[in-house]
Amino acid sequence: MTSKFRKSLALIAKFVLLAITVGILGNMAYLAYLANEGLMGTVLAVLAVGAILIYSTPRFTASKFFYPGIIFLLLFVITPVIYTAVMSTYNYKDGNLITKDQALTQLIDVTGIVPDESGVSYEYIPGRCKGELAMLLKNIDTEEVSLACDSRVTPLAEGQYTIDEFGVPTGAEGFTAFVGDEQFAYDEEIANLKFKIEDPAADNRYIRADGAGMAFDAIQTLTYDAEKDELYNTVNGLTYVNNGNGNFVNPNNPDEKIFPGWRQLNPAQNYAKILTDPVLRDPFIRVFIWTIVFAFTTVVMMGFVGLLVAVALDKRIRFRNIYRGLLILPYAMPSFMSILIWAGMFNRDYGAINTLFGTDLDFFNNPWSARAMLLIVNLWLGFPYFYMISTGALQALPTDLEEAAALDGATEKQIFFRIKMPLVLQILSPLLIASVAFNFNNFNLVYLLTKGGPTNVLDGETAGATDILITYAYKTAFAGAEQNLGLASAISVIVFIIVGIVSLWSLKRSKVLEEVR
Amino acid sequence: MAKKQSREASHAWRHIFIWGMILFALFPIYVVITSSLNNSGGLSTSSLIPKKISFDNYRSLFNDDSIPFMRWILNSIILASLNAVISVMVGIAAAFAFSRLKFKGRKLSLQALLLVQVFPSFLALAAIYVIMERIYNVFPSIGLGTMWGLLLVYLGGSMGANAWLLKGFLDSIPADLDEAAKIDGASSVQIFWLIFLPLSVPILIVTTLLSFIGTFNEFVLASLFLQEVNERTVAVGLQSFVGSNFGANWGAFAAGSVVASVPLVALFLSLQKYVVSGVTAGSVKG
Repeated sequence: MTSKFRKSLALIAKFVLLAITVGILGNMAYLAYLANEGLMGTVLAVLAVGAILIYSTPRFTASKFFYPGIIFLLLFVITPVIYTAVMSTYNYKDGNLITKDQALTQLIDVTGIVPDESGVSYEYIPGRCKGELAMLLKNIDTEEVSLACDSRVTPLAEGQYTIDEFGVPTGAEGFTAFVGDEQFAYDEEIANLKFKIEDPAADNRYIRADGAGMAFDAIQTLTYDAEKDELYNTVNGLTYVNNGNGNFVNPNNPDEKIFPGWRQLNPAQNYAKILTDPVLRDPFIRVFIWTIVFAFTTVVMMGFVGLLVAVALDKRIRFRNIYRGLLILPYAMPSFMSILIWAGMFNRDYGAINTLFGTDLDFFNNPWSARAMLLIVNLWLGFPYFYMISTGALQALPTDLEEAAALDGATEKQIFFRIKMPLVLQILSPLLIASVAFNFNNFNLVYLLTKGGPTNVLDGETAGATDILITYAYKTAFAGAEQNLGLASAISVIVFIIVGIVSLWSLKRSKVLEEVR
Repeated sequence: MAKKQSREASHAWRHIFIWGMILFALFPIYVVITSSLNNSGGLSTSSLIPKKISFDNYRSLFNDDSIPFMRWILNSIILASLNAVISVMVGIAAAFAFSRLKFKGRKLSLQALLLVQVFPSFLALAAIYVIMERIYNVFPSIGLGTMWGLLLVYLGGSMGANAWLLKGFLDSIPADLDEAAKIDGASSVQIFWLIFLPLSVPILIVTTLLSFIGTFNEFVLASLFLQEVNERTVAVGLQSFVGSNFGANWGAFAAGSVVASVPLVALFLSLQKYVVSGVTAGSVKG
């Protein structure tokens, strides 16, 4: 292969790859616009244009190398972080997940339309008319037939519709009935539609389907006044006002909320709740303290034991290589598995620990034994790592220092404690800090071992004795009785800030930021 | 002679301590192996020494239709290797630009990268969930509940740390090398493909391996994303054996753990030398 041939081959490959990438991105952008996701479409389109700009010209050399990496980082790390911050400023939880427009549509068109007292009911045939979903209705009592089409009900005179041998209407002018599987495919959508009954006496009467082949005379019970931003209940005459926090409520009883609500911007609410509401604040403070205590204690334990092992094996003793291989086994095992194995070993009824010591202890139900368990298991998981890096540090020490000290008459003990140890700790300190930051968020360990428990469920608490901030946020968002995404995001933001400060401080200390070249 | 004896005595504490630590390190491994050979259901029920050896747990793992164990392993391997290979390839390219090329905002973006890579991506869990749900509504094949969506999130999460680690290595390659190539008329693209990539093979292996292990161990995002039994990774699948308070199946779990960890431990031990140098360079295992 000549180099010229190779060059043109590479060029062709490059443009084919570029064309495929841009094609896929462009197509995805188009689909996103179709689905009303304007922002997503714009992002995808910008990505496609960026790829063309960067890769089809000889300029932007550096961008050619980091473009894909930066995109992944921006889309799946930076965006979620920003999104978390935004979510934390909303009242965003079960019952308040949709936008206000969606909530109003739901309230006016679905929740606010209920069967009236007349009890008039219909059989219906689903179909289409004027391109929209429609129903051909037959009154069960009077057997009169009408067409629900274009949001309105029109009574049909005999001859305007066709019936089959059982008297069931099958078609009408402008109406096409669904056949086969289609009959059932739209049940749910039809149940979300309302069709107005023309009635000079009342203008709030509708017909709506129940999604299972029956339809009813119904009445509009909720109406919305956009100017006052109020909701009226036409049946009991009550007015519901916007409480400014994502719900319409009865002004005389603010706890009487109308659902669904919407996600309402309320910037300080979640943070204020964490800081002032005793139901949240007390567990939050407890969890916060335990997170810090756990992160530091566990790293000190792992570091100390790891270093001790390294020192013990620093001399050429027999079987050193075999010992080394056996001692790093815990680090080589998949950690999620080891944690689950330990959880089984601590089990009261059939765990190996109780069998070994002949005891009958319930480690998971006592806060202190549960905490001790976390530390022991994490020691097992982590000491080999510190053993490895301590060995590296000990071997990296310059020998001339030791010799000079020996010449000056220092004893072996003095050399060890006054010269070697300070140097080793200096080498280890950035890794110890990194490990504290890691254990600050050691979700796997806590969640797989104790699930944060023991939890005082009877007191209605969600935070357990071993919960750390990240598992507490996870429970708040996904595992509680009520999923509160806004509150969970606020907890995450607080953790972000703490981790950020710790990392900035440690980076400043080690001068890495300034030394970046 | 006396001196030698006293040295042996001073070494005695080392042997005793080390043997204590070895027992501590090996005990869970011993328990999981014996439990996998014991079909009575617990992690060591009545005694620590197995009385009877049975392979029922292993048989049920591979023959029971309600336990798609091989699918889980396959899912984990696909996810972990795709994530490792793609993130390391994309990472080394970015690392090259940051290490060797001059461009505006380079120092600032490097500092930003350094900060970003310390944040675990699952801290933004709730946001990732909501974003992927929205993506699912438009593109069902790469959104919430799919392996490909999960892969995208993993790729984003491992990019920062990998790029940073790899840049550290590329910085240690002498500058004379690419300057000489530049004088000979090589473009940056050629320098990257023909000089830097071949030189980086050892560190690429280490980063790929560490990335692979990290993804293999990942539990939070996988359990949130993958609800379908067949779509699970081995971490989520094995946890489902023992996660519920009722009917924990420790025997199958133990057998599954042994099967899943043997290749990983073998891989780890055989590449021990590289891994040790890799972790010493500053990455923390997840």
